[in-house]
Amino acid sequence: MYKYILDSVENIDWLAIGPLIIFFIFFTGLTIVTLRKNKSFIKKMGEMPLDE
Amino acid sequence: MSKMEQFSYDNGIVKKFAIASVVFGIVGMLVGLLLAFQFVFPSANFETPWLTFGRIRPLHTNAVIFAFVGNGIFMGVYYSMQRLLKAPMFSKTLSNIHFWGWQLIIVAAAITLPLGITSSHEYAELEWPIDIAIAIVWVIFGINMFGTIMKRRENHMYVAIWFYIATWATVTILHIFNNLELPVTLFKSYPVFAGVQDALVQWWYGHNAVAFFLTTPYLGLMYYFLPKAANRPIFSYRLSIIHFWALIFIYIWAGPHHLLYTSLPDWAQSLGMAFSLMLIAPSWGGMLNGLLTLRGAWDRVRNDPILKFMVVAVTAYGMSTFEGPMMSIKSFNAITHYTDWTIGHVHIGALGWNGMLTFGVLYWMIPRIYQTKLYSIQLANVHFWLGTLGIVFYAIPLYWAGVTQQLMWKQFTPDGFLQYGNFLETVTQIIPMYALRIVGGILYITGVFVMVYNLMKTARAGKFLKEEFVEAPALERHVPHKGEYWHRWFERRSFLFTVLAVVAVAIGGLVEIIPMMMVESNVPKIETVKPYTALELQGRDIYIREGCVGCHSQMIRPFRSETERYGEFSKSGEFIYDRPFLWGSKRTGPDLHRVGGKYPDSWHFNHMLDPESMSPGSIMPPYPWLIEDDLDISTTEAKLKALQTLGTPYDDAYVQRANNHLQSQAKSIAASLNTDGVDVENLENKEIVALIAYLQRLGTDIKK
Repeated sequence: MYKYILDSVENIDWLAIGPLIIFFIFFTGLTIVTLRKNKSFIKKMGEMPLDE
Repeated sequence: MSKMEQFSYDNGIVKKFAIASVVFGIVGMLVGLLLAFQFVFPSANFETPWLTFGRIRPLHTNAVIFAFVGNGIFMGVYYSMQRLLKAPMFSKTLSNIHFWGWQLIIVAAAITLPLGITSSHEYAELEWPIDIAIAIVWVIFGINMFGTIMKRRENHMYVAIWFYIATWATVTILHIFNNLELPVTLFKSYPVFAGVQDALVQWWYGHNAVAFFLTTPYLGLMYYFLPKAANRPIFSYRLSIIHFWALIFIYIWAGPHHLLYTSLPDWAQSLGMAFSLMLIAPSWGGMLNGLLTLRGAWDRVRNDPILKFMVVAVTAYGMSTFEGPMMSIKSFNAITHYTDWTIGHVHIGALGWNGMLTFGVLYWMIPRIYQTKLYSIQLANVHFWLGTLGIVFYAIPLYWAGVTQQLMWKQFTPDGFLQYGNFLETVTQIIPMYALRIVGGILYITGVFVMVYNLMKTARAGKFLKEEFVEAPALERHVPHKGEYWHRWFERRSFLFTVLAVVAVAIGGLVEIIPMMMVESNVPKIETVKPYTALELQGRDIYIREGCVGCHSQMIRPFRSETERYGEFSKSGEFIYDRPFLWGSKRTGPDLHRVGGKYPDSWHFNHMLDPESMSPGSIMPPYPWLIEDDLDISTTEAKLKALQTLGTPYDDAYVQRANNHLQSQAKSIAASLNTDGVDVENLENKEIVALIAYLQRLGTDIKK
């Protein structure tokens, strides 16, 4: 089974793989950066609509 | 501590947009109700062209999207933006030009669409002069918005503002690209793209109009008004950041899911399907973020109608963003596409997500700007239940109708013939569902009237606070400090933020559209496919004017059930001269791509005069004016010249004697009608002849 998958690799259109890679990098980067954000900053931003 | 500054929030503009949203909301819904009646009582067009389904269906969609929701967006944006940025709007004059400009555009739409002035692109039907007006008003809104952002007294932009910025930037791009057209007259233009390319650009636009007009701005409103109404911060601000970037990045790729199994190249279809499936992640992230904001406060939802409206809105958002990705799976789409399922789906979004959120915001905001309490909580509860039941009664019958009809289309007898070979059988079967849908619509709109009464009573009891005076410290110059992250850095820079948001949305558009435009092999040419004759072209423009595309597709999918019913499946090379493309997205009547040569001319004549005479039980409206009105041939040459400019290979000699050719073709059709006993004075000059010429040409080129 895996042989067939590997066999067909060279036929995979870059249009299918390209966007997936772009999205994967974008999403992973975004998640890492967001999770590393300062807790007090996140709290302050979250409360902004209530602070008027 | 910096100096305290005094300023005021402009509630006047908020009130104007609120009133406009409600008024046009009612108009849009009433037109929708009339359309719903026409499915059960075809004579409800009162035999007038201006009230016929094909013409007022775009009026309904435009009124709900751009007038009801559009004004709702501006209402919410103008209210929340001033407060989140601690600054009045940049310019009151611009606010007012924006308001009146937008209302004038709506009025222009309400006049031109029933007159049949349309470019036929779904949700972008308005003709070129109005398109330009929209662009101008939109830019004015942008200047006002970015001006306010510049003047802000708050260092950081809350996530709602990001959604507003992304909305503005993306709608600008979409509006421009989908309305690239060459004017022929003041009220007629041809799009620069043809056939498959036109279809791809249109659905790249169409899908993202849903994304960036009906979704992202309302998510901004959700992130502001839900915490307000619940009086607690959003569940996870971190999640909102991921929600924003992932959503705007993915959404733009999803357009081709409107074109599955069509002549669009497979790679584009697969791309659209994959990204549509991925969309469920950020969409549900956002929905859960909204619902989890209420964790520990669900007891309040029981008593507070505002929270009830918001909970149903966010739940409907979750439902339609689950349904959307499912409908984008090719095998699932094969069942739902062209049926009433799609109509049910979009109304979960429009009535549930947009409608209920707008109502929740109005109930929360109006008492505040009128400095009083809501007149009646009980009436708001009544509205809530009328609205919710209305949605249920609207959507479920249409899901049922959709599945029933598609299964009937696909049903074969044991001998291999279509079980329901007559399309009409599949329509009459679902009429009871159409009737139930009317009940849903009536319930929903009754609720809106209850709200209007309640809010008017509230306004009367209170005193309108036109200018809300507040004070806030002036913005201090920001000193970067250790440990500051990139997002904080550019979030303070609205211009850079906008550029990055545009880059995120542009990637998807570029990857899809550029290869489609550049690679010749995407649209294999067919030798026998030739441009329309002058008469056929005029007939095609009548087909466009009457909005036939609202009920008839011109795209036979490569299924046995379709080739058996309609003939050879549609090839991309057949549409290279179609400006605009007319593939359609709903089959209330049968597909017409291979209708050419299927019936005699006189069948079409009698069918347009009285559809029931040819198809007893048909719910198609009659079109007597096509037989009474003379064809306007003064535009023929200009039309052909415009198409020539766009690349249709008409030779100059043909263009110059186009009307001679048109008349001789009209005479031969009139003669064939006469032979079959049709006796109308000056028949060869009538619009019906041009329409018949077009219908008889449809799909016949590949048979040559």
